[in-house]
Amino acid sequence: MVFDRPTAFELLDSVSVFLEEKIKGELPKHLAFNVQIAINVINIVKREIENGKEINESSKKLIADILQQGNSTESLSKAIKDGKIDLDNKELQKVLLEITKMKLSVDNPNYSTYKDLVE
Amino acid sequence: MEDALKKNLEKLLKEEGLNGRVTDLEYLTGGASNETWKFFFSSKTEKKHMIFRRSLGESSPMAISKRDEASIQQLAFKKGAPVAKIIAIADKDSTLGDAYIMKHIEGETIARKILRDKEYSQAKKKLAYECGEAIAKIHQVPINNFKNMQVSSPKDLIHQLYLTYEGFKQPLPVFEFAFKWLEDQDFGEPIEKLVHGDFRLGNLIISKNGLEAVIDWELAHIGNPIQDLGWICVNSWRFGHSKNIVGGFGEIDDLLSGYSSVCKNNITHEQIKTWQIFGTLRWGVICLIQTFSHLYGRTNSVEKAAIGRRVSETEIDLINLIFLGGK
Repeated sequence: MVFDRPTAFELLDSVSVFLEEKIKGELPKHLAFNVQIAINVINIVKREIENGKEINESSKKLIADILQQGNSTESLSKAIKDGKIDLDNKELQKVLLEITKMKLSVDNPNYSTYKDLVE
Repeated sequence: MEDALKKNLEKLLKEEGLNGRVTDLEYLTGGASNETWKFFFSSKTEKKHMIFRRSLGESSPMAISKRDEASIQQLAFKKGAPVAKIIAIADKDSTLGDAYIMKHIEGETIARKILRDKEYSQAKKKLAYECGEAIAKIHQVPINNFKNMQVSSPKDLIHQLYLTYEGFKQPLPVFEFAFKWLEDQDFGEPIEKLVHGDFRLGNLIISKNGLEAVIDWELAHIGNPIQDLGWICVNSWRFGHSKNIVGGFGEIDDLLSGYSSVCKNNITHEQIKTWQIFGTLRWGVICLIQTFSHLYGRTNSVEKAAIGRRVSETEIDLINLIFLGGK
């Protein structure tokens, strides 16, 4: 690692805290709303920096295990579209659930359906 | 700019026989495609707040014009649906462009507030019933008024949605799964009605007494009436209050009793769920539309960028509904 501290994660964290603590309260309602979205966006990127690589690797592995060829979401989409995998296939359903849960753990771990499924 | 707008509003109202002054112009909401203003109108005989809505050109692919929106609202008003009275419709070649003025109705539209604040707890108890009733009244509007509007069967709708999704070249296995699954489902009798298209909190004005008005008609179209009933059950419109299936506040039985009090039907819970699943997928595709309009459009929007990462919310909902037995 050639980069010094703060890490990418720590840099984003400092911006997110700055917006939350110093900026949001100073703004009119519609701008404060957009700053909240900006904070959410930074938090998504933080989680992706932390876990994105691992999630990509696990997803590829899960897809490769149920497909004869390919390990990308593109190949999985095509297999479903072309009817190469049956919709009732329990392994397929399990893979879709696992991948989507991992996506949510980055995109929005507070989402109601995700929380109900992991708790 | 606001002074010019005031003058143009006064001119339009004068054409309707309302000769007076426009003051207290206040910007309420807006985006790339349209904006909404509130203002105060005073003449010798009248003093009241009004709402002005206009298109800004960059319309979203599913949206109808503001003028059509206003005419539909007028017809729904006649059928007794809770709708703000239309006061004036601008000529599309006028300076105001594609726009209209309607009565201002007191109340709250912010979903999270309505679902959270004690002030609305009485209103919420009967809201599902009232929504069912309002939706049924909208479905009573005679559709021979809309000769230029597209009529879409469920099959057509799914196909159009698929083409839109496919156009973005971002393959989503869960969406492919849902599209394929929807091919063999029961969408109910092939009836054609006026459908609001976006009936949910956010587009409803609620007071402590209940449902006051249905707004934001830009996604109105002719189609299967159950679509509106399924849409308000989509989890995204429960705003975190996911235990209450109807809009985060009510139960399907109450929604259906309200609907049946106006309009005889044999709609089943299963059919509503099928339309709810369709609605979830539709919302997912709308998220994609928003995202790519940020990525390829002219204006930067952090809101539209962020919505791209809400697509996965619709994916987990589709999974939950289709093969985990979720509600």
